[in-house]
Amino acid sequence: MDATALERYMEPRLPGASGLKVTNLLRIPGGASRETWMYDAEWTEAGQPKTSPFIVRIDPPASLVESEREVEYAFYRAYAGTSVPVPGMRWLEQDPQHLGAAFFIMDRIVGCDSNPRVILEPRYDAARPMLARRFYEILGEIQRFDWRGSPIESAVPVPAANECWKRELAYWEGMIDKNEQSPNPITRAAIRWLRANPPPPAKKVVVVHGDYRVGNFLYTDEGIHGVLDWEMAHLGDPMEDLAWSCHEVWEWGRDGKKGGIVAQDEAIAVYEKASGMKVDRKALRWWDVFSGVKGQGIWLTGARSYADGRTQELIMVTTSYWLLNFQEEVILRSLGRGA
Amino acid sequence: MRPQPPQVMMGMAGVLMLKLAPELQTPFAQQNIGSVAGILSMLAQEYDRAAARFAEENDAMVALFRRASRAMPTGAIRSKMLQEIAANPNADLHVSKLQAENDRLRRMLVEVQALVETLPGEEAAAINEEIWDELRESTRRRHIMFG
Repeated sequence: MDATALERYMEPRLPGASGLKVTNLLRIPGGASRETWMYDAEWTEAGQPKTSPFIVRIDPPASLVESEREVEYAFYRAYAGTSVPVPGMRWLEQDPQHLGAAFFIMDRIVGCDSNPRVILEPRYDAARPMLARRFYEILGEIQRFDWRGSPIESAVPVPAANECWKRELAYWEGMIDKNEQSPNPITRAAIRWLRANPPPPAKKVVVVHGDYRVGNFLYTDEGIHGVLDWEMAHLGDPMEDLAWSCHEVWEWGRDGKKGGIVAQDEAIAVYEKASGMKVDRKALRWWDVFSGVKGQGIWLTGARSYADGRTQELIMVTTSYWLLNFQEEVILRSLGRGA
Repeated sequence: MRPQPPQVMMGMAGVLMLKLAPELQTPFAQQNIGSVAGILSMLAQEYDRAAARFAEENDAMVALFRRASRAMPTGAIRSKMLQEIAANPNADLHVSKLQAENDRLRRMLVEVQALVETLPGEEAAAINEEIWDELRESTRRRHIMFG
């Protein structure tokens, strides 16, 4: 990342700014779908020194997921100023001439943790129940949001309630077809099961974050301060995010607690109150099996990117050697076929 | 005897994590060195067992197809199964060749299970259960241990 190029880009876009300098430019670990960099900008405005922390998310040559940056940007913008905490968006730039690829810049929320393992450390013991509760309250708030008339409506397709599951399953099956290098019989069996046992229509068509899980929000022991990584966001069935957040792959403590932080029944109780919707356990199970297929679609995409030489990101190798098989073990269990 | 590759890879992973990672200045660099160490540990496990697990699995699938073929209706899938049974999937012990045979057999397994699921009767149900047993076993063969 070129600090000078960032300075050239930002200065004319900050009204009255001059002498803008970028400092502390560092790549942030993670961000498997886009390269994520943090930095501080210092400038002078009306004779006064100003400073502000930023994040730039830039498209990589290849990633774990195929996503459109405009879509991610639209979801962030839609939730600005609501009870769903998101960082403020500054600029979306499609022209690759500035930084070598399309990107967007947003405000950086400082002083928080995001690592899913840190929240399991003893120093979070007292705050963890509150964070878990807040995590599922926010999910309810995301789903109560009226997306009609917001930037979301023009950014993504609007599915009918009875089409949500079909659209998502078709999309992820397509990703598996496209990226699979070796056959995955367990995943294929799960896809057949999903088609043979369809869920009821969505109770309502809501915003689906698409990767709502522990690891994708910023937190302190005082609360959750930012929900991040909206690159897979779309409109769909409320059960999709709930099931994904509870999927076994994200049980970071490997102790049955969802996201490593909460029992499933407790998560559902908080979610039901916050969303105003009763959870159909049978539908939730369908979306849990689907989560396994979706996970496999993501891991296979990453593994394929590496095999094709489109990326050297090491996370893609980890997916090939560990996650693909772990995901199949999880699918077996979700189908009731585990050891 | 020279050190075996798994031992070398595990040793390298240890050096990266315990000696080099603490010297690195940024979380991004530390995370990457951690990933390299983790991948070396996975490769060490895979290096030692890859040929054995492919050969074992290929044999298991051929045996399964042999039993299943007796209960399958005549048709294209049964004909393909009979061809698979006739071939020796482990004739060439290079891992790349064993993998290619494994891919071919697992592709067949997907087709067979999809068909068996639609067949009535106890025999078909029993074959389906046998396929699930093999699938469970396939994940055990590929399981990666950490720590």
